[in-house]
Amino acid sequence: MKAAILTDTTKCIGCNECVIACKKINHLPADAPRRWDRDDGLSARNWTSIVEGPGHSLVRKQCRHCAEPACVSACPVGALTKSANGAVIYDSSKCMGCRYCMMACPYGIPRYEWDQAVPYLRKCILCNDRLQAGGRPACTEACPSKATIFGDRDALLAEAHRRIEASPGAYDGKVWGETELGGTSVLYVSKADLSFLATGEPLGATPVPNTTSLAMDAVPFAFTGVVAAMAGVSWVIERRMKREEEGSDD
Amino acid sequence: MTRVRRLKFILWLVAGLAAAVAVARFVYGLGVTTNLSDATPWGLWVGFDLSAVAVAAGGFVLTATVYIFKLERFHKIVRLGVLAAFVLYLSFVAILLFELGLPWRIWHMVVYWNVHSPLFEVGWCVMLYTGVLVLEFFPTPAEEFPRLAKLRALLIKARMPLVILGIGLSTMHQSSLGSLFLIMPYRLHPLWYTPILPLLFLISAIALGLLMVIFENHFTAYFFRREPETATLADLGGAARWLLVSYAIIRLGDLALRGSSRYLAAPGWPAMLFWLEIATITVVPAVLLSLPRLRRSVQGQWLAASAGVFGVVLNRVDVGGLAHLGHGNELYVPAWTEIVISAGIVAAAALAFLFVIERFRIWEQRPADPDADPAALPKFDRVGTTWLGEPAIAGRTVYSLAFVAAAAVGFALIESQPVDGRGIVPQPVHRARGGDTLWIDGNLNGYGVAFPHAKIEARLGGEASCVKCHHMNVPRDRNSGCYECHRDMYLTTDASRHDWHASPDGGRLACRDCHDSSRPRTALVSKKCDYCHKNLVPQGATIQVKNYKSVGYVQAMHALCIDCHVNLAKQTGKPEFARCATCHKERRARVDAPELAERERIGRGMLLPAVAKR
Repeated sequence: MKAAILTDTTKCIGCNECVIACKKINHLPADAPRRWDRDDGLSARNWTSIVEGPGHSLVRKQCRHCAEPACVSACPVGALTKSANGAVIYDSSKCMGCRYCMMACPYGIPRYEWDQAVPYLRKCILCNDRLQAGGRPACTEACPSKATIFGDRDALLAEAHRRIEASPGAYDGKVWGETELGGTSVLYVSKADLSFLATGEPLGATPVPNTTSLAMDAVPFAFTGVVAAMAGVSWVIERRMKREEEGSDD
Repeated sequence: MTRVRRLKFILWLVAGLAAAVAVARFVYGLGVTTNLSDATPWGLWVGFDLSAVAVAAGGFVLTATVYIFKLERFHKIVRLGVLAAFVLYLSFVAILLFELGLPWRIWHMVVYWNVHSPLFEVGWCVMLYTGVLVLEFFPTPAEEFPRLAKLRALLIKARMPLVILGIGLSTMHQSSLGSLFLIMPYRLHPLWYTPILPLLFLISAIALGLLMVIFENHFTAYFFRREPETATLADLGGAARWLLVSYAIIRLGDLALRGSSRYLAAPGWPAMLFWLEIATITVVPAVLLSLPRLRRSVQGQWLAASAGVFGVVLNRVDVGGLAHLGHGNELYVPAWTEIVISAGIVAAAALAFLFVIERFRIWEQRPADPDADPAALPKFDRVGTTWLGEPAIAGRTVYSLAFVAAAAVGFALIESQPVDGRGIVPQPVHRARGGDTLWIDGNLNGYGVAFPHAKIEARLGGEASCVKCHHMNVPRDRNSGCYECHRDMYLTTDASRHDWHASPDGGRLACRDCHDSSRPRTALVSKKCDYCHKNLVPQGATIQVKNYKSVGYVQAMHALCIDCHVNLAKQTGKPEFARCATCHKERRARVDAPELAERERIGRGMLLPAVAKR
């Protein structure tokens, strides 16, 4: 099963129960406005938040748990991994704090403990330990209006399309996260345009890790090529110089 | 003072200042000592890293010229080139130790692998090439130690494979720094983002390598009063200009092919930065180096090399942090501490560079050590263990003084930094959500009052009664935080934003729109809010805005509730309504104590029991 979350922004009442549940289950510290916070409410102390989208829509922000996550491909020490159930999880014992994942994430999700002398990365891990124990993410359990639900990704996709077909006027017709950047485990159906959740230009269908794979795959060949070319040039020039010397001796 | 001494004095000053900031960086963490944030997790230091590697390209370019292409006339400057590259790679590692959140885990890259990560490749290239540089440079200092003669001979024998390995690693390293940014197509500005970024990084690094050799030769020539190798360097400059021109052609051509050339004429700083880069990397050096007279003159070479170094460094800083599409309007400007650390590492690297030049044989003849006075007595008598004194403060004494004094200034400046990063970042406020009971904790200290919101709302007349207690938001701003008005619950606060009214993005008002030009410009004698904002205060509101001030939070709550309850108490004979203890009774008495404790800990005040039970 591929674990997934479907958030229906038309059902969200903005009560923040998901945020509270997340803070409780992950033992996150109290809020306080800090210089380095972004204005979307996500921080090292809040792994999910409800932001106001276009047209006063309430949109719950959290890690999208991409099918092909940019952060996992970027992390040089493999501290971020995509687990078998679909959650993108973090191993703080491997992390060395380079923050490349934060730069790579197309949704700008990972946050850092800037106030700590020994800082770690913080983001939603889809309550991975609860998933392993057969449970579901705390936020989906806490939601009183069933605006955010947990399930198998395929089943939730079907549900999302069913909702859109059942009441076409209530939604914009798109399941956010179905195909963008190779798809995400956290899906949205909404009346409002949710492209504001991503940074920069509208997202294409190509997964972000593909952007570096060509350059990275070429590395061994390029390295061998350069070394061989240098050795060859050196050998040719040396031989020519030797010949010239012999020639001048004669 | 000689030129070198003066330079060293300044370098020690900068190093001392940075030493103090360095301590603060590790004690307080990144949040306090940098302007990095969740929106811009990389900044100046990454730009520094990229620049240091690019500038160090002189090392592999020169070894290739001398040992691969066997151009013997450059042999006399190869030691200086390798030394500079070595020192620059060490400074790369040094800044990395500041930049990483957990620098003591830098070795994790050796143990935990992720071959898909460009940063993994960068890390390995740095480690391996720094090792190669050690081996390449080792024969130079080893000359001075007869005991190392055998090892030295071995390394000289192994020079050819070392040089080839170094070139291979450098090629990979220079280009992989470009690959690093390929993963950010949605972040890096389209004027910089291109799939051929690795190639552009490599070409500009090779060209810069040649310019850097020119630069470091003139630099040392000036400070050690040597004759610069102008004629030899002119040939390097001649080769560099072709690379510089092809760099600009590839870069502009690529922009045109990808259809991003429309950004070139777009107003704003990205296009300006781009053109500044093209001008300093290509136009200025290429023109100077194409004119034969200037190419063979000290001034021409010096200017061309400086412009090129500046341009490539600017390019790397742009890619590293400046040319990133921000999230909204958040703008990253490096903190003074970030600048000081960067400058301090440059200073330390330059001091190490000068030390090696003075101590070992980089040129045919070693320059005289400006600090060593052959006529001076030993300052410390080892036999008698007494200090023999010194006639004047000079040399190492004055450097120590500079270092210590600057460090003291640094510590003093750090003291004034806000250490916990408590900042004025607006926190979003959403639509009123109502609820049965509110946990009001105005002081945010965990001691609060349970307020039966639903009951009181019903008593006052349902939804239509909101305005009786709630005053308006800041005009046209849906996201003002509570604390923007309720900064202090006992003080009145400004309900109008002067800056917003005057801003061209906001109210676009002139001074005289609100202020009478014949009178002093104070709030008291200006037009009142409702002169323009007719519907600012809703009909039926109890709270009114006077003189742009809203009343203190405590006064608002207390006056609104208590005043009525005092009257009510008189009428109904229920005096307890107006007493403090009616509301402020035993802490947390009205709600489930463990639940409340938990919510209080995580700082969320809203209670919605009725909804949660559904």
